[in-house]
Amino acid sequence: MNLRVTRSRPWIWGFAAAALIWLVILAISGQGGGQTLSLALSLAPYLVIVGLGQMLVVTAGPGNIDVSVAPVISLAGFASVAVSAGTGSALAGVLAGIGVGLVVAVVSTVAILGLAIPPIIATLAAGLVASSVTLHLAGGFTAVPDPGLRELLNLRPLGVPALAVAIAALTWLTVVLLRRTVYGRSLIAVGQNRRAAERAGVPVSRVIATAYLLSGALAGLTGALLATYIAPSADLGTRYLLDSVAVVVIGGTLISGGRAVPVGVWGAALFFILLDGLVNLVGWSTAAQNLLKGGLVLFVLFLAGGGDRARSTAPRLRRRPRPAAATTTTTGDNSDG
Amino acid sequence: MAELLAPTLPGRARMRHSAPAAVSALALIAMIGVCSTLQPGVLSVQGLTLVLSATVPLVIAAQAQMTLMAVGDIDLGIGAFVGLVTVVTATKLSSSPLVGGLVLLGLVAAYALLGLLIHLRRVPSLIATLGASFVWLGLGLFLLPTPGGSTPEWLAAFGAWQPAGFPAPLLPILLVTALVHLLASRGSAGVRMRALGSNPVALGRAGLRPLTSRVIAYATAGGLGVVSGLALASQTGGGDVSSASSYTLMTVAAVILGGGSFSGGVAVPWGAAVGGVTLGLVSVVLSLLDVRSDLQSAVQGGIVLAVLAGRVLVGKVLR
Amino acid sequence: MHVDNLPAPPGTERDRAARPPVVTARGVTKAYGRTRALAGVDLQVRAGEVLGLVGHNGAGKSTLMRVLAGLESCDAGAVLVHGEEAPAGSAAAFGTVRMAYQETSLCPDLTVAENMWISSRHCLPRLGWRRAASTSVRRRLDEVFPGHGVTPRDRVEDLSLAQRQMVEIVRACLVDRLDLLILDEPTESLGPDAARTLYAYVRRLAEAGTAVLLISHRIREVLSAADRVVVLRDGAVTADRAAAGMTEPDVLTLMGAHVAVPSERTGTAHAATGDGTGARVVAELRDARGGGLHGVSLRIAAGEVVGLAGLAGQGQQEVLERLWRPARRDTEVSVTRAYVPGDRQRSGLLPLWNVGDNLVVTAMRGIARRGLRRIADERDVVRHWVERLAVKGGADAGITELSGGNQQKVVVARAFASTAGLVLLDDPFRGVDVHTKTELYRLIREEAAKGRSIVWYSSENAEMAHCDRVHVFRAGRTVAELAGEEISEERIIAVSFAESDEPDVPKEPGESGAPDRAAHGRTHG
Repeated sequence: MNLRVTRSRPWIWGFAAAALIWLVILAISGQGGGQTLSLALSLAPYLVIVGLGQMLVVTAGPGNIDVSVAPVISLAGFASVAVSAGTGSALAGVLAGIGVGLVVAVVSTVAILGLAIPPIIATLAAGLVASSVTLHLAGGFTAVPDPGLRELLNLRPLGVPALAVAIAALTWLTVVLLRRTVYGRSLIAVGQNRRAAERAGVPVSRVIATAYLLSGALAGLTGALLATYIAPSADLGTRYLLDSVAVVVIGGTLISGGRAVPVGVWGAALFFILLDGLVNLVGWSTAAQNLLKGGLVLFVLFLAGGGDRARSTAPRLRRRPRPAAATTTTTGDNSDG
Repeated sequence: MAELLAPTLPGRARMRHSAPAAVSALALIAMIGVCSTLQPGVLSVQGLTLVLSATVPLVIAAQAQMTLMAVGDIDLGIGAFVGLVTVVTATKLSSSPLVGGLVLLGLVAAYALLGLLIHLRRVPSLIATLGASFVWLGLGLFLLPTPGGSTPEWLAAFGAWQPAGFPAPLLPILLVTALVHLLASRGSAGVRMRALGSNPVALGRAGLRPLTSRVIAYATAGGLGVVSGLALASQTGGGDVSSASSYTLMTVAAVILGGGSFSGGVAVPWGAAVGGVTLGLVSVVLSLLDVRSDLQSAVQGGIVLAVLAGRVLVGKVLR
Repeated sequence: MHVDNLPAPPGTERDRAARPPVVTARGVTKAYGRTRALAGVDLQVRAGEVLGLVGHNGAGKSTLMRVLAGLESCDAGAVLVHGEEAPAGSAAAFGTVRMAYQETSLCPDLTVAENMWISSRHCLPRLGWRRAASTSVRRRLDEVFPGHGVTPRDRVEDLSLAQRQMVEIVRACLVDRLDLLILDEPTESLGPDAARTLYAYVRRLAEAGTAVLLISHRIREVLSAADRVVVLRDGAVTADRAAAGMTEPDVLTLMGAHVAVPSERTGTAHAATGDGTGARVVAELRDARGGGLHGVSLRIAAGEVVGLAGLAGQGQQEVLERLWRPARRDTEVSVTRAYVPGDRQRSGLLPLWNVGDNLVVTAMRGIARRGLRRIADERDVVRHWVERLAVKGGADAGITELSGGNQQKVVVARAFASTAGLVLLDDPFRGVDVHTKTELYRLIREEAAKGRSIVWYSSENAEMAHCDRVHVFRAGRTVAELAGEEISEERIIAVSFAESDEPDVPKEPGESGAPDRAAHGRTHG
């Protein structure tokens, strides 16, 4: 097992790309590289949080995706700022954000598991409801974010953002969750082969529901923190839909499920943030940013591919349809780093 | 042999296949009924023109989505793509018809290429089209950073065309749906596409390449997306890349309303048309009912969930 | 579209041998990874003959057929069509060779006529193909299966299993020119009448000059329908005889591989559990109905191995399902359960994990404390089971790198490594080599002796000899309960087929000539 972990490190590519962009920025701007890095480290955590949630959902197997993260972030932003302004407690605000995420996730989960609605539609619809509520809240919204929490988010002892450290700890917790807990192993088993996991005694529905709830809670947390850091707005979360999926894909998580790479989310998030910085530095428009991002996702996606070439040479007596065939990479542990 | 002669077949099976479309047709009639009680003028030619015109691009986009769902894929980029087409229409096509036409053809080719890569690299269409949607968005912003431009006169004239005797929007809806019906339900290309969604192994055993089926489906979807964008531009008179962003969910919902399935294998052009018109009318009804605009997307989301839940129930009852 | 167009020299037994070969295999070998499916097969299929191909599970029948139909290339040797070497996949060379598949190659969402277009599009007009396909498929169905009840507009998914099989066979026959028709287990889901009319049609085809290759595990059917019988064993032809004068036992002897493993059942284990009255009852079904069951009652005592026998699909798997997820009131299970699925590709393996991870996934729950895994303890369990079952490659090997037998060992060990008191076996030893089977039978008896209960559904009646009690199922009912010395293959077969004219016997699993099938399990080879 250990041998194979060292042989394939799918998360390394995100970091390599991030380093490359960093060097380019360094060469163009001529500024101190430390400052760029520090800035990137203070922006990346938000993407990492929502990315970790998306990663858990994607790991639950083919077809699982949470597209409600964007509206949830926006809604949680308003909710948390309103609650923290109302109660005067930043903690209550953050909890309110997480709660909002959980509520939306409960709606999607009931639709997915109870009504057998495909995850994409269920989360889209739940997200639509959430964005309606957001628009409703946004009208005449006057509350301001909690200054104490904002200061905390801006805290950078020795140039290292405190939030980055906290989220690094969260990432480590996710690694522990996936490797050392029964839940994490069950999730990975369900992602590889849902039927087999069910026959092996894994409570499949509960495992999948938990993944969506965790994703909703993490998106809510992102919204709460982001609204405090920037300001609540109706399109606060818009960019996080593609970005969260993208960092998961680029980070090395298997898009067909069954292999999660939490550390890879960090590398990919840093890469994305630095890329934004580079695009701004060069003075490109949002058009170019979108093009670049969409193009990159497609590039990585098509480069990685969904299925293993080895499958075509494997015994074909019992051929399976495409989605199932996509889960056959044999190398690599399922929770690298 | 007696047991073989007692087929449980026609009635129940056929009913199961056509039930969803029938349910949404009923919903459509109910919706028109509500409209006409709220606003009696709706039932006139002019009223119907007004009410239906907004649904034309949606119905055509729903046909594009239906084509991809027939092969078992799903397109999360159709909204951005239609928006991009309106932008191309309002800029390139009006300044130089030849260049504009070539760009639109290029967009169709890009869709076919997307299908090719999705097939060859065995990538989930869900995520690939999501990524592509940002490419479409970026291209649209690149061509036209803020909404504007103007559509070519012939297109605007078509949008404003009001023949006497029948509501003009019915024409493109019926025409496109009939064409898609010929292609996807009657023609051999449709058999290839649906076979891919239904049982790719059978397709391979018969010596047909699944790749071709998928590329045909994506090219068709791209072509229909272009038509949908043209229809939208003819009504708005300008280009806006995010003008159709709600189409992504709406088209999927329209296909499902019309009896399509996520697993592929079935083509329901008429069902998708009925579903698209029904969903398009929802916003008309909502505005007639004075529902606030910020609640409209919630109501739409709720309707989609309710309809899908209803289908699950209908499916269980008919089993 | 008309087979009647073929040159049709009326054939007698003598000049059949002189007819030209349609398809010839010369020294064909084929390997999948480490498994050698074909080891140098020489075979000639001549025009106008019906050739029966028989063999056990994994003898290479399926692979040979795929090679002969041009769907698969061979590693060495050659396939000749009409005397000329034909590369695999060449539509020109294999255009007149058609095959009806066992798991049908029809698209369930498409209509019958549309399915005909997919496979026979070369002989349909470009315009109006739908009508042409409908006409010809209806005509051919009427000819082969009178009273079929299929219309060309029906969707395949709405047809019964038997009707689908009919459409599949007709699909294979619909070509301009048919030189070789390969039928893979054609009567598997057909009723006796349909089987009879099919064989009559096969004879007519042969008389018209078409060669027919018939693969079936119903040996009596093969003997009555075929001119010549070829026995395949371990990827090679071991016998090639005229069918006339051969009897079923002859063929069985030639197939050879029917190894009866001596029962490990011991008198003591038997005495301890008896018929389940003495020991504690761990699971019980009381007159279970619905979902394919029509009043099944059974009690399972601690330490008992209970077999579920009978033809395939008579309600045995439904019983396992009830015991696995006891949702209804008529089922009562008082211990934890573990499940060993038969289809390991679909519902057994976790393909990204290694042997150890796959093995311990069920036991992990019991070992863990408050949701946290205890890795050291898990490792001990894995080591114990890998050694006990001698899993090749060890705990760190990727599960997909293992052979089928070793994969199945892991799946079985997964269930037994848990603390489950009741282990459910869903025909898990299909396609597993005899050596592995013997090991696993021993394991089952050992675990039962430790007090675990086992419910074991098997399509191989010989396996039932390892059970304490056997319930024989037919049409969702228990038709007999055998215990101890009563359990024998012959007895189970006799009970399975007794009163077979009872009206409510479902048509799907075979009725005609089915004893052979029951005796040799499901031949998915």
